[in-house]
Amino acid sequence: MNWQEILEFSRGPMFYGALLFFLAGMAYRLFAVISLGWSKDLAKPRGSKGAGVVKSFLRGGIIFPFFPREKSAYANNPIVYIAGGLFHLSLFVVVVLGTAHMLVWKSLVGIGWPTLPLPIVDWMAAVGIIAMVALIVNRAVHPVMKLLTGPAEVMSWLFVFLPMLTGYMMTHHMFFPYEVLYSLHMISINVMLVWIPLSRISHFMFYFFSRTQHGVEWGKRNAMP
Amino acid sequence: MALESTMNLFVKKTGGEIASQLEACTRCGMCAEACPYYLATGKPEYTPIWKVEPLRKAYEQRFTIVGKIKLALGVEKPLTDADLKEWSKADFEACSVCGKCSAVCPMGIEISSLIATARAGITAAGFAPAGLVEKAETQQRTGSPNGAGEKEFADWYAALEAETGIKAPVDVKGADMLVVFTSLEIGSKKKNLYDLARILNAAGIKWTVSLKARDAFNMGSIIGNPKLQKELAGKILSTAKELGVKQLLVTECGHGFTTLRDAVPNVFGEELPFFVTHIAELLPNLIREGKIKVKEGYFANGHTYTFHDSCKIQRQGGIFDEPRYALKLLAGDTFKEMLPNREEALCCGGGGGMRSIPEANENRMAAFKLKLEQVERVGADVVVSTCDNCQLQLKDGFKHYNRPIEVKGLIEMVADSLVR
Ligand code: SF4
Ligand code: SF4
Repeated sequence: MNWQEILEFSRGPMFYGALLFFLAGMAYRLFAVISLGWSKDLAKPRGSKGAGVVKSFLRGGIIFPFFPREKSAYANNPIVYIAGGLFHLSLFVVVVLGTAHMLVWKSLVGIGWPTLPLPIVDWMAAVGIIAMVALIVNRAVHPVMKLLTGPAEVMSWLFVFLPMLTGYMMTHHMFFPYEVLYSLHMISINVMLVWIPLSRISHFMFYFFSRTQHGVEWGKRNAMP
Repeated sequence: MALESTMNLFVKKTGGEIASQLEACTRCGMCAEACPYYLATGKPEYTPIWKVEPLRKAYEQRFTIVGKIKLALGVEKPLTDADLKEWSKADFEACSVCGKCSAVCPMGIEISSLIATARAGITAAGFAPAGLVEKAETQQRTGSPNGAGEKEFADWYAALEAETGIKAPVDVKGADMLVVFTSLEIGSKKKNLYDLARILNAAGIKWTVSLKARDAFNMGSIIGNPKLQKELAGKILSTAKELGVKQLLVTECGHGFTTLRDAVPNVFGEELPFFVTHIAELLPNLIREGKIKVKEGYFANGHTYTFHDSCKIQRQGGIFDEPRYALKLLAGDTFKEMLPNREEALCCGGGGGMRSIPEANENRMAAFKLKLEQVERVGADVVVSTCDNCQLQLKDGFKHYNRPIEVKGLIEMVADSLVR
């Protein structure tokens, strides 16, 4: 097998296999949690649950992590919120607003959208990579992070980091021939796709549950500012 | 055997709420920075989400494929009695279930509710701290954790007439409001009843106290024993129904209030036929609605006042604005806000039963120090609180650190400034 064949395989059958595993795995995770059922709340609400949910998402999605309200809590572990926030922003810019990725989406879902100029996307990719390095260093040195970090967290980090790194190297034609980098990029993406349903990277799905419940609870008590 | 009761409890409690929140955690560690016990001691094992480990392990190993694979591969050990015993220290001796972690988690996880479930699992296995177990047994036997029974309450109710000339309405059918107390008030603040009687009479409320439903304190909620919680709350629920009241007023108990208002309807599977309220909400509303009149600025007398947000009444009860309305009226510009406050306020360090656990004393006072710093930053010499447990902790703490700072309850402030 030469690199050209590896590339064909990794962006062809391997990618579709990984994608299928990802979708089936996530669907299963979703089903497993939903099938446990939610209990009805009979307590009299003191405030609006709906307003609570809206505020919960506004706070969770927009205000966190860029404008921390609770300075004392964030000041002690700023890397988590600064690097964590920049990483997610970078991910969004590169994976959704980058032209190359938009074209992949277009081939998968049939619709395209306007994208950002390459230099901006490229800078954001670099920011994301730096943020990821900061996050893993923080995990290695902060006592709380050390306690909360097991092999699974390190693997999650690695399987997200590799596609970012190979993607960046690929755009800049660094060190290796293009097909090699492209193949490595695809392989690492495939590994990540398989890993997501098995790991906490799946938090992007459960985020909607926890944020909603948070909003309902705090809204109901009228405790949400 | 012990473990089996824990597992049964966890399985019974695990629905979509718990599962989805456990799944959402990214192990980002942010919650640690919210926790007064972590902040005060720097011990990583006091990280809020780490306190949930027994529940997480049980959930993953019982309900998820990945958890089962991890178990089979030996990557993770099964939950053991020893784990539960170990976690009892973090979950009971370094957590007041204050809920600040839930306000800070970027994922919006209700960490403190998860900890409450973990605590229940630890209790089911018999590893709850001895101090709490003893209080729970005493309350089951006598009705109150400090052993105050029907006689002590009857004497207290009787003393009302001698103190104020008001005869205590006891178990009056058809009254509009049933008032329930905490036995802590019998111990250290008998005056609350006398003050409250004057306020409620001035407002023209038809109120009653009861010899059957006396103490809102609920050791079942504190220790995490659902059966005891139901039994204790059930007495209040049935009495309130029997008397046909429209309102149930909890004087100063924090967890008793949220237990009755938010948990009881779900524990008994019914909507309550009465409204559960707290003095923190009722008294300011009586002033606002003109039902009672207070001397404005009565406490604007050279002192600096601040308000301590209690975890159960304010953060988890949502009663932020009412007490502030009353305080601004009573203390005017001498009322100053601590920072952070409201839903992000710091716990006084003494909630969640910590005051009944001697082993927790060091943590309790260490966490209090953060509160003390806040109080001193605004330069307050009087701290007002609507929770009697917080008031006791604040008093303990100021004494411990040798500070001449006064602690006041809202009931006494309203009563003292009442215009007859
Ligand atoms: S802050 Fe929330 S997401 Fe982060 S570790 Fe704590 S519980 Fe998990
Ligand atoms: S509930 Fe309060 S005391 Fe308990 S872990 Fe959370 S922040 Fe700490």
